[in-house]
Amino acid sequence: MSVEGKRIKVLMAKASLDGHWRGVAVVSTALRDAGMEVIYGGELGASQIFQAAIQEDVDVIGINIGAGYTVAQEVMQLLREHGVNNILVVAGGTIPPQDIPEFKQMGIAGVFPPGSKLDSIVKFIRENVRTPLR
Amino acid sequence: MGEQTNDSFQTESGIPLKKVYGPEDIADLNYERDLGLPGEAPYTRGVYPNMYRERLWRIFQLSGTGAAEDERERIKYLLAHGETGFIMESDMSSWLSYDVDHPEVLCRKGDVGFFGAPLNSLRDYEIALEGIPIEKLYCHPSAITPIQSPFASACYFTLAEKRGIPWSQLSGTGEAGMMLQYLGHPSKHLLPPLHAVRLNCDLIEFCITRLPKWVPLSIEGYNSRETGINAYQELAMLLANAIAYIDTLLSRGRLGIDDFAHAIAGVSFALGRDFFENIVQVRAARRMWYRLLTERYGAQNPRSLRLRIHSLTRGSDWTYEQPLNNIIRGTYHALSAALAGVQSLGVSPYDEALSTPSEGAHVLSLRTQQILQFESNVASVVDPLAGSYYVEWLTNEIEKQAWDYLKKIEERGGYVGVLDSGWAHREAAKGAMDWEKKTASGEAKVVGVNCFCMDEEPHIVSPFRPNPKAWEISMARLEQLRRERDSRKVEPALDELRRVAESEGNVMPAVMNVVKAYGTIGEVGEIWRESFGTWNVPTLF
Repeated sequence: MSVEGKRIKVLMAKASLDGHWRGVAVVSTALRDAGMEVIYGGELGASQIFQAAIQEDVDVIGINIGAGYTVAQEVMQLLREHGVNNILVVAGGTIPPQDIPEFKQMGIAGVFPPGSKLDSIVKFIRENVRTPLR
Repeated sequence: MGEQTNDSFQTESGIPLKKVYGPEDIADLNYERDLGLPGEAPYTRGVYPNMYRERLWRIFQLSGTGAAEDERERIKYLLAHGETGFIMESDMSSWLSYDVDHPEVLCRKGDVGFFGAPLNSLRDYEIALEGIPIEKLYCHPSAITPIQSPFASACYFTLAEKRGIPWSQLSGTGEAGMMLQYLGHPSKHLLPPLHAVRLNCDLIEFCITRLPKWVPLSIEGYNSRETGINAYQELAMLLANAIAYIDTLLSRGRLGIDDFAHAIAGVSFALGRDFFENIVQVRAARRMWYRLLTERYGAQNPRSLRLRIHSLTRGSDWTYEQPLNNIIRGTYHALSAALAGVQSLGVSPYDEALSTPSEGAHVLSLRTQQILQFESNVASVVDPLAGSYYVEWLTNEIEKQAWDYLKKIEERGGYVGVLDSGWAHREAAKGAMDWEKKTASGEAKVVGVNCFCMDEEPHIVSPFRPNPKAWEISMARLEQLRRERDSRKVEPALDELRRVAESEGNVMPAVMNVVKAYGTIGEVGEIWRESFGTWNVPTLF
């Protein structure tokens, strides 16, 4: 479902303490250039990601994974426990191809490893964002 | 494909290129002034007269994973297969000086041991270095970030003491990378940059009188480049960082330039896809260092004037697609390092685009270097590209661009100023975004990514899995340490460190006492954060 006429709001966060930010910076810039509103949360734990997403009323959570497999899992669990089903969650970073199904199983809709085209990320978010029109 | 479609040719950093270069392009070149023999001023051609005939470049691979014992096994494995120095990589928790039970670590235990071992105390160093003859080997003892470096260096020096090895025998380098921490990993967990400069300068002062063969820190252009900065910007950032240390040390009034300049004259560069730009960057760096140190600071001792260079092939050039292609990239990046005359080299393992490196990928990084050293015959003649119209012209050009960029940095408050304001970060982010646009449009080709793509990977690479028990093992060890150590020794040592940190004294003797009493990296990190506060991260992009 696409959201015509409303700015898509995205929380970008890093699951790991690893602060390498180049990937997050270019993805965030591409989303902004595409007209989305991006909040950069920096390094956040699962509950911080969840709280920030709710407080900021975002449509999308983008998680830079690094070593943060369990953080991603916990974010998905928190969303489920609180019955939040209108936030699209996508992940990126150095994720070996063998592990992509694991993230999909968690409920993460899009996984974007190194080399992913920025316009494909923009397109995926536009086409899959779940927030109803308001 | 197969046709050159872009009509404007340039280096990766955007320096326009002519079709061919000739004598008129280097008409102003003065051999004595601008080149000189290797080992002679201005050291453009190399810092030692005999270079690789006397000593081949050090094979120096980044390595680390799991708990301290896993770290040790990887180091031993690499040494057994011909590595000629070793680097102890630690994990993010240690980089930031958190013990493995700090709340920031507990909510992301997966970080522990992911690309290095947590090194929480002298005990972890004892385990990680068990059976490794540190008196004979050149080491980088995981003194990676400024906040971690005093503690990590003190652990290594104390371990040597306990083994009866005189400090005068220890050779190696710390990193204490400001580029790594403030440009590469800007976060609220860091100290304000000015305090990082202070800790680094304390370490330099401590080491120069006690450890003559030790390089207490290395200014790592590498990490600025990987964030999105280009080649001449990397050169300028590196010099700006050096200037920050030099000016701080001189302002303390205790040391003259020739007392300490050798201790900061070890730097690193990121060598990547542009073969000739790699080479000229290294050559220009040596000449610029000589000029900066003599012209601005009046240094005279040749030790102060020789810039010794480590390089690491650029992980950001590695592709996730067709990852075996990264072996080929690493080979030619490494060849450029050899032709440029670096002192040590790491070749990023080919699987780094997918995971922490496996043993097998690490061995290929060693073999790449060994084949260059022993089969290719490139190590027989020093600075073989000198005199090439193109190479000399481009060396001049990149130097000119770097001086101009350094001026921009200095106009904005110097190195600490451009970190605090976020200017450096926005420059890097702009560079990174420009690169994305160039690869998206196809203006810059990346084989396997935007050309010569394949629907199915021709070679499947199994990702390396770090020890999943790294946190449990490290946590159990930390608990045992806290039970067994003599708290009557730890507490006064920590109190003394707090007092010194808040004064203007050198922190190192007090850090040594904490380490000897088996104080932990988290306890020391807490004192730094309490005494200095944490960084107000600027707007990054």
